[in-house]
Amino acid sequence: MEHNKIQGTSLPHLYLISSGQENPDNGTLLLEQLNLLPRTPCCMVQIREKQLNAKQLLTLALKARGCPLPEGSRLLLNERVDIALAARLDGVHLPESGCYPDKFRPFAPNMIFGCSIHSPESLTIAEESGADYLLFGPVFDTPSKRKYGTPLGLEKLGQICRSTTLPVFALGGITPENGARCMTEGAYGIAGLSIFQDTSRFVDTLEQFYRIVSP
Amino acid sequence: MIPSSPFLCVITDDSFCPVTIAELALKGGAAIIQLRHKSASGNQLFSWAVDIRNQCQKYRALFIVNDRVDIALASEADGVHLGQEDMPAHIARKLLGKQSIIGVSASSLEEALQAEKDGADYIGFGHIYPTFSKEKGFSPVGTETLQKVAGSISLPIIAIGGVSLENAASLISCGASGVAVISAVSRTDDPAMAASELVYALNRKKS
Repeated sequence: MEHNKIQGTSLPHLYLISSGQENPDNGTLLLEQLNLLPRTPCCMVQIREKQLNAKQLLTLALKARGCPLPEGSRLLLNERVDIALAARLDGVHLPESGCYPDKFRPFAPNMIFGCSIHSPESLTIAEESGADYLLFGPVFDTPSKRKYGTPLGLEKLGQICRSTTLPVFALGGITPENGARCMTEGAYGIAGLSIFQDTSRFVDTLEQFYRIVSP
Repeated sequence: MIPSSPFLCVITDDSFCPVTIAELALKGGAAIIQLRHKSASGNQLFSWAVDIRNQCQKYRALFIVNDRVDIALASEADGVHLGQEDMPAHIARKLLGKQSIIGVSASSLEEALQAEKDGADYIGFGHIYPTFSKEKGFSPVGTETLQKVAGSISLPIIAIGGVSLENAASLISCGASGVAVISAVSRTDDPAMAASELVYALNRKKS
């Protein structure tokens, strides 16, 4: 598939997002999670620590880059292409209000660019600007997204998945129980934030999810 | 690449449309526009950056983006301005290349020397006088420190913080190549006039 040409092989089906905004800790939890990763299947990891300034973010990104990750894993940063380049990360995830991938591609040709989408309109923009993957949500109710209104639901996830050839990761309130239904709707993979915060169950949770997303 | 001394740099103000401020400042004779907006979305910032870059080209002024090296690259800005909490200058240099201008904020001789070592092209030094534009955790550095720094480093210095028509010329006498302002242009009834008066004041011989 066209989108799988990025970085030579296909993207992992699991997607972990760090959660600095809900739990400001300068990335301690993220590093703890990364250190648990070598015992789990490969995954996408997005560093999303909006409370940090650029200098702190660069320090964290370099530390994260230094963690040995399972083969095939991809380490991404939220929004900041400059810091991702400086820390030699694999890609950048752009929020719906972020600048578009085609604006960055000329000076970051080897990076994976993902886009958050919440509607068919933003899907069109993401596709036209050359996104490599999409993050769609919130699919289900989740504490971290409650302020943005009601969840979008499985039906809309299905509509998005059927109208694009790009890999779509389902995000928002995904659990090992409801994750399979996202895959049935055509999701490429599933993404989580809050569910991965309990590090005592982290590896188990990832392995449960991996069984759901394995083709 | 840095304009010939003395020059005026206008930094955009979070409370006003940066494109409007830039346009008026350029009309008034500003030689550098710095786009600085801490809460704008990436897409918004990029769109402003492209507009201001085009205006700056028209006026043969420099366009600098605060903090976001990626937005500077994407919008083909002339350079970036980095604070002490931003990416270090030597790392930004690797991303931007030799041609781009990198400015670094400093408020002590140590920071200025470090910025010079890191390959900065100019130093934004201040705040010289008390200022209300930004919340500052320290007291003004004063003109004596400015003079000391100007005597110790070879890079052009842009003095910032509390710059006014009254003190602009004396900052140049202290060794600054130019001055930077936010509110002294944006928070006036006529920003273009305010900029042009500042440019005039900078060129006034010390009496």
